[in-house]
Amino acid sequence: MVRVDCSKLCPEWPCEQPDEFKHVWVIAEATEEGVSEASLQMLTPALEIARKLDSKVVGILLGYNVSRHADTLIKHGADEVIVVDDIMLSEYYPEVYGQVVVDLARKYKPEVILIAATMRGREMGPYIANTLRAGITADCTDFDVDEKTRDVLLIRPPFAAIMLAYIKTPFRRPQIGTARPNVFPVPPADESRRGEIKFEKTSILTARSKLISRKILKREEIPIEKAEIIVSGGKGVGGPDGFKLLEELASILGGVVAGSRKAVDAGWISHERQVGQTGKSVKPILYIAVGISGAAQHMIGVREATRIVAINIDPEAPIFNQADYGVVGDYKEIVEALIEELRRLKEAGPGAVEELIREYTQQAQAVGQG
Amino acid sequence: MRIVVGIKWVPNTQAVRFDPKTGTLIRTGVPAIVNPHDLPAAELALRLKDEYGGEVIVLTMAPPPAIQGLEHILGMGADRAVLLTDRAFAGADTLATSYVIAQGIRKIEEEWGPVDLAVFGQETIDSSTAHIGAQVASWLGWPYIYYVKKAWLQDGRLRVVRQLESAVEEFEVSTPAVVSVAMKALKARPVRLSYKLRAKLENPITVWTNKDLGLDPRCVGLKGSPTIVSKVTYLPEVPRKKIVYKPKDPRDAARWILAQLFSDEKTREALYKALWGGA
Repeated sequence: MVRVDCSKLCPEWPCEQPDEFKHVWVIAEATEEGVSEASLQMLTPALEIARKLDSKVVGILLGYNVSRHADTLIKHGADEVIVVDDIMLSEYYPEVYGQVVVDLARKYKPEVILIAATMRGREMGPYIANTLRAGITADCTDFDVDEKTRDVLLIRPPFAAIMLAYIKTPFRRPQIGTARPNVFPVPPADESRRGEIKFEKTSILTARSKLISRKILKREEIPIEKAEIIVSGGKGVGGPDGFKLLEELASILGGVVAGSRKAVDAGWISHERQVGQTGKSVKPILYIAVGISGAAQHMIGVREATRIVAINIDPEAPIFNQADYGVVGDYKEIVEALIEELRRLKEAGPGAVEELIREYTQQAQAVGQG
Repeated sequence: MRIVVGIKWVPNTQAVRFDPKTGTLIRTGVPAIVNPHDLPAAELALRLKDEYGGEVIVLTMAPPPAIQGLEHILGMGADRAVLLTDRAFAGADTLATSYVIAQGIRKIEEEWGPVDLAVFGQETIDSSTAHIGAQVASWLGWPYIYYVKKAWLQDGRLRVVRQLESAVEEFEVSTPAVVSVAMKALKARPVRLSYKLRAKLENPITVWTNKDLGLDPRCVGLKGSPTIVSKVTYLPEVPRKKIVYKPKDPRDAARWILAQLFSDEKTREALYKALWGGA
C-alpha cells in the first residue's frame, strides 16, 4: 500500500493513510415514508465496488423517525446501517446533514462514499467532501476499481456529454462520488437478509437556516432538467395554441413541456423551459421533439435523453437522423391522435398494449417478408 | 449589502481539447464566454443591490483573458471586479479552486469590509459539477442554499425561494451565506455602455496573484487537487435507432409510435407508470 508523504500535503488537509479507511458508504435520503428510490439505486454500484475491494456496504440513514427504514437498506444489499435519528434532522438543511455525515466519516473512516445526485445530494455532497478535504466527482454514470491501488475510478460525462472522464483520487480517502438517478437499478430485495444496525447521535444543536414553507409542485411546474418525459416544441409548432396541445400530451404522459430556442424567442414558452446550448441540458427517459428541425445547438441539450421521438412534416429534417423513432406528418394531427390513442389505452388497461404491439410486430414482419 | 458574485470564464463550444499528458483541459485557442448559468447569479446580486443598496463585486479565478468576463458583469452594473490569477492555480480541481475563491473572499473582506452574501451560478456548462458554492461555504464556514430563484431581505434577514425536483421551498438563511442561483431562473440585464465606460475610466478591476493571497503552493492548482483525471474518452455521437416511419394516417402514426415505445425496454416502464401508475 502506498504511503502518503505528509510533507507534500496542503497543511489544511489532515494527513491520513489510505489503508486507515474501509467500507463503502451509501448516504440514504429518507423521510418517514421510506428511503428514496434514488438512494436505493446507489446500492447497485456500492455492492459492485465493495465486491471488487472485498469490502462491506454500509448504509447511512439520517432523519427523524426513520430508524425503521434501516431494514430496507439491508434487504436491498447493505451489510450494515448506521442510523442518526434525531429531531434536529426533521428538516433537511445542507450544512446540517452534511456536518452529520462529516462527523460520522471522521469517526468511521469510509473508503468510498456514494450519494445519489438528486438536487439535495448534489447540494450536500460537495460540502461533505470539502469539509473532509476529500475529492468528489459529480454525476457519475459508471464506476470501476483499480484493485491494486484500491483507487475507485469515477466515470462522468463533462462537456455536455461529449466526453467521458475517468477520475480518481489517489492517496486521498474517502473517495466520494454522486451518481444520477435512474442510471442504476435498485438491487432486488432479499427479505431474509440480516445486518447490523448501529445508532449514532449528533451534537449539532442549531441550524442557521430555517424552512419557512414548502409547496409541492404540480406536474407541469417540474423543472425540465428533472423530468422523465418531455414533450418539446419548435418553430414548426407555429404558436402558443400548438403548445396547449403539447401540454395536453405531456399531461397524459405525466411529463412536462419544453421548447427550442426559436419557440422561446417567439414567446410561446418560458425561457426556463428552453432546451439546448443556450438553454438547459435535459436527461429524460423519453423526449418527444415536435416540429423541431434538429439543429446542433438544440441536439447538444438532448444528448443524454434515453429515447428521442421526432414528429416533423419535413422528411429531410436533420432530426430524423438523430432520433430513435421518427414519423413524418402534420404534427397537429399526429399529436391529437396520440392523445386520443393514449386515452383509449388508459381506459382499456395494460392488456390493450399487447394487442397494439402484436399488430405492429406483424406489420413489421410482413414488410420484412415482402 | 456587500455581495460577491463568482463567475467562470468557460469555453464557448465543444471545441475543447484535452492534454493527455497532464490530464487537463487546453483552453488556449478556444473562444470563451461567461458561463451562461452565472448570468442569473449576477442578476440576482444586482437586483438585491438595486433594492437595498451596497455593492456588487464580481470575482473569478482564471488566466488574464477572463478580464473580458469580469468586464461583462461590470457592464451589467457590478461595482468592482477581482481577478485571482497565478500559474500556481492552474490545473485545479473543484476543491483547490474553491480554496482560492474562498481566500479571495476573505481578502475582499480585508480590503473593502464584510461580505454578506456570495452568489454563484448553479453549475457551469463545461464541467457541470455544481461543487463550488458548497465548497466555498465549507471553507468559509457559512450556511448555504442551492437552486435559488428569488431572494430578498425580511426583518434584516435573508429570505430565499428555491426549487427542488418536485417542491418549491422558502428559507430564512442567516448571513453571511452562500447561495447558488437556479439555471435560467432570472433573465440577465443587458450590458450598458455607460457602465462599460465607467468601468474603463475608474479601472475597478483588481488583480491578485498568489503572492497577494499568500497561499501555500501545496494547497492550490494541481498540487492542491485531490482528484486527478486519469483518462478521457470522447463520445462523438450518441447511438440512435433512426427508424423513420411514413404513416398511412395520423392514427397509424400515433399507434406506431406507441407500439415502438411500449416494446422498447428503455421506455416501457415509464409509460406504464404514466398511464396506470406502474407495470
